[in-house]
Amino acid sequence: MNPNTRTFRTAAVTAAIAALVLCFPLALLIVAGLLLHRWTGGRALSTMDFPDRLLTAAVATLPDRRRDWGVAMIAELAGIEGRRARWQFASSSAAAALWLAPIGRWPVLAPVTAVVVAGGVTAGWATGAAVPGLGVFAASFAGIIGVMVMLAIAYSRRVRMPAPVATLLLGGAVAAAVTMTVTFMVRQPTAAEHLSIFGGIFLAAVLAGGLWIAVAAPRTNRLAPYLGIGVALVYAAGYLTLLRAGYHPQLEPGTQQTMQLLAIMWLVSGSAIVFPLASFAAASAGRSFRSGVYVGVWAISTSAALAYAVFLYEALRRYTIRPGLLLDGEPGPVGQNLGNALFWVLGAIIVIGLPSALVGAGLGALTRGQKAHVVPDAAPRWAE
Amino acid sequence: MTRTRRPSPQTTAVVLALAHEPSTWRYGYELCRQLGLKPGSLYPILVRLADRGLLETAWDNDVPAGRPPRHLYRLTGAGRALATELAAAAAASPSSALKVRWQGA
Repeated sequence: MNPNTRTFRTAAVTAAIAALVLCFPLALLIVAGLLLHRWTGGRALSTMDFPDRLLTAAVATLPDRRRDWGVAMIAELAGIEGRRARWQFASSSAAAALWLAPIGRWPVLAPVTAVVVAGGVTAGWATGAAVPGLGVFAASFAGIIGVMVMLAIAYSRRVRMPAPVATLLLGGAVAAAVTMTVTFMVRQPTAAEHLSIFGGIFLAAVLAGGLWIAVAAPRTNRLAPYLGIGVALVYAAGYLTLLRAGYHPQLEPGTQQTMQLLAIMWLVSGSAIVFPLASFAAASAGRSFRSGVYVGVWAISTSAALAYAVFLYEALRRYTIRPGLLLDGEPGPVGQNLGNALFWVLGAIIVIGLPSALVGAGLGALTRGQKAHVVPDAAPRWAE
Repeated sequence: MTRTRRPSPQTTAVVLALAHEPSTWRYGYELCRQLGLKPGSLYPILVRLADRGLLETAWDNDVPAGRPPRHLYRLTGAGRALATELAAAAAASPSSALKVRWQGA
């Protein structure tokens, strides 16, 4: 075959895969948006214009001790006429709503802020010195967790574990992901080339987000965390089995290739099928969109951390048995497995899983005719 | 030991505007327009004044049907005392940027 033709075909296949990777989540997001629009088309937002919605959403974030001030701003907006004036008042008030929470808390927040900044810088510097390439991740992880602590103080949020056992399991999954990242970087220092600044921040954001869900997620449905964890354990166990089978010495090379392909399919189609099914079931059984979303979020957070940790563990193990990349068995530097874990495992699960779970939860709620109670906490008291 | 901080020009303007007719309840949007302040600046000031016991608040339920009650504001006794101090200080320093605005309101 003409080398030019081969190059063209390779480029065409790559473009088709890239288009699929981009279009599929985009299509899911559009469907999720349409469902959310349909779902939120109930009474709560029907009479609101955009300035109203903007301000109501901002006020919903206020802690109880400041809620009256938010309601006061909404009441003032109700009397303002003219599109421009309403936008100006709503946008400025929404910004104010975000600053009202910390007022009066700065004696506590100021030293906490100093500790967060110092902690982030120190963590980044010390980790970067000990494990080259890991500084950005360490600084971002410490910084994001510090910001979460600051927000909890500013908003007077009492941290109450949603479900202790589920919290431990999700926390353990995050700890496993961090441990495997450090282990991988220590054993394979060249992997630093495959952990970009963006990759380090992305990894930190996903894992810190998982910790937040484990510790401070709303407690609306007691079973949601356990159902989500259960789905994640099945998902991760299935992925581990397929990964291991992909290079198992007792299997034929053809079978190994099939298993590698199945592992990739499990990663993508599992995200597009397993998570929305779990969300659909939860939303349908609980007659609640929120229940479906909570199950999906717990399942995706735990699955992402577990699958990422499993991938790195298996990548190291496989490389000692037979050099090659874990994802597709192709030759390549072992450090590239870290980049693959970030993009194909974490990225795929988050980008495909989240909108899929939203779609599942929306469909589950719609089948039972459940209507939204949008930002109920922000509803003005006069409306009750 | 408590530390006394000098109020910002915006806070001074709000306090003096409220002190112009101390017994009258005022609306937030009305104060915004009078002082040329954005709500993003005004409401944090009102919150701080209320937290320090300088401002009292109430709800105006006498509103047209379908409209929510509006929040009302006026100075407390301590707030009026502060206003007197600030007015004296403002008179002593004519360069105060916002002085003209509240006087002209």
